[in-house]
Amino acid sequence: MAILRSTYGSKRLAVVLFALLLAALFLLPSQSQGVLQFLGGPIGQVLSVPLEVFSSLDRGMTEIWEGYVALRGIREENRQLRKQLEFVQGQNNQLREATVATQRLEALLDFKQKSIPDMIAAQVIGRDATNWYRGIILNKGEQNGVRAEMGVVTPAGVVGRVVKTTSSSSVVLLMTDPNNAIAALVQGTRDEGIVEGTRSGRARMKYIPLLSTVHPGDRVITSGLTGSFPRGLAIGVMTHIQQEEGDVFRSAELEPEVDMTKLDEVLVIRSPYEEAEASKKMIPGMPGEKRKP
Amino acid sequence: MKIWLYIALLLTVIPLQTTLLHHVTVLDVRPDLGLVVVCLVGFFGGELDGLIIGFILGWSQDIMSAGELWVNVVSKGGAGFVAGLAGRHLAHITPMVLLIGLGAISCLSSLVFVYSMKTSDWDLMWHAFHSKALIQAVLDAFIGAGAYWLFARRWVTDPFLQQDRL
Repeated sequence: MAILRSTYGSKRLAVVLFALLLAALFLLPSQSQGVLQFLGGPIGQVLSVPLEVFSSLDRGMTEIWEGYVALRGIREENRQLRKQLEFVQGQNNQLREATVATQRLEALLDFKQKSIPDMIAAQVIGRDATNWYRGIILNKGEQNGVRAEMGVVTPAGVVGRVVKTTSSSSVVLLMTDPNNAIAALVQGTRDEGIVEGTRSGRARMKYIPLLSTVHPGDRVITSGLTGSFPRGLAIGVMTHIQQEEGDVFRSAELEPEVDMTKLDEVLVIRSPYEEAEASKKMIPGMPGEKRKP
Repeated sequence: MKIWLYIALLLTVIPLQTTLLHHVTVLDVRPDLGLVVVCLVGFFGGELDGLIIGFILGWSQDIMSAGELWVNVVSKGGAGFVAGLAGRHLAHITPMVLLIGLGAISCLSSLVFVYSMKTSDWDLMWHAFHSKALIQAVLDAFIGAGAYWLFARRWVTDPFLQQDRL
């Protein structure tokens, strides 16, 4: 009780220090951000303990709810899923045939085998602490090799990218946030564009050429040209294509492949092109290269 | 005693905000528990307590958010200080006074977020304000006033206000 009890002088000192901090934040924004991030590391580590506890409590409650209480309509859902399964099995057979044909052609053309990116599995332990960003908190941080700007995915598709890390946790900005942008292409027509989040929590593909033949239902995937995602990861399906009069590009609304409200486990892409990185290391004279004995 | 209460608040508010509170949303907006706690600390504990707790809580919130690392530090620290000043100058705090005060402070702190968007698009700023800030202000005000009402019913608050105020 006595610790924060102070005299008039200490109160004035605290106010002056806060005013100085404000001045530093406005005059030297990037430097002060770096200092706050560095000093906040221990705070993040301390907070990650109760965060894990609350998260496991939340998971337990959700499991009880979904496992026992929210079972209404499960029979109808099961019937629909069986129908869907039959359809997907048929599609799978066709794709298997197509894969064999592609492998044969790749062998003929001597194509390089695409490597699987190096990934880290992480659990979602929370949502963004404010209402202003669509983000999630992961239970893996710098000590697990997670760094800012790394891509985050699930087997269904793209989730977002890491924007902040502490030693034991990291914050991911979701693909559906308006501050996020991913280089993408339309799977069918190969038209390139940028996918951004929208205010309504969905996504929009911008800069589609006017002469493009895209239509609703087309799938959009990562182009792999920039950022932390390899080519070919599912982003979403086009639901509505827009073109205003006088616009030089078209844009399309997307339904994301991943349901961002039901994320439990995700994969952080440590290196999108492992093979490319490895081959870079083998080139003599490259900076930071470790020579083999 | 008070320091342990503050530590407990710092260790529980942010985990609660990030894990369990997303089940309690109105139009996809959650109340800002951090702001409510900081304002209550300011009202009961004075400007210095509000400022310090606001600063630390805001910093923790910024670490667990995708936004820039100053927005909550500034808004929560400022909110704690303003709440402390208001608490000192108001003769008698009632749940209704707190309801209006918390709503106003929540709106003011949301303006810091709108400023941090660094946009000149008035449409975007207005959308952010009425679709998020106003709803959050209403939620914060009701939760804060409710907490105060419970607190005031259970414990006599005047000694705490008079003796422990900085």
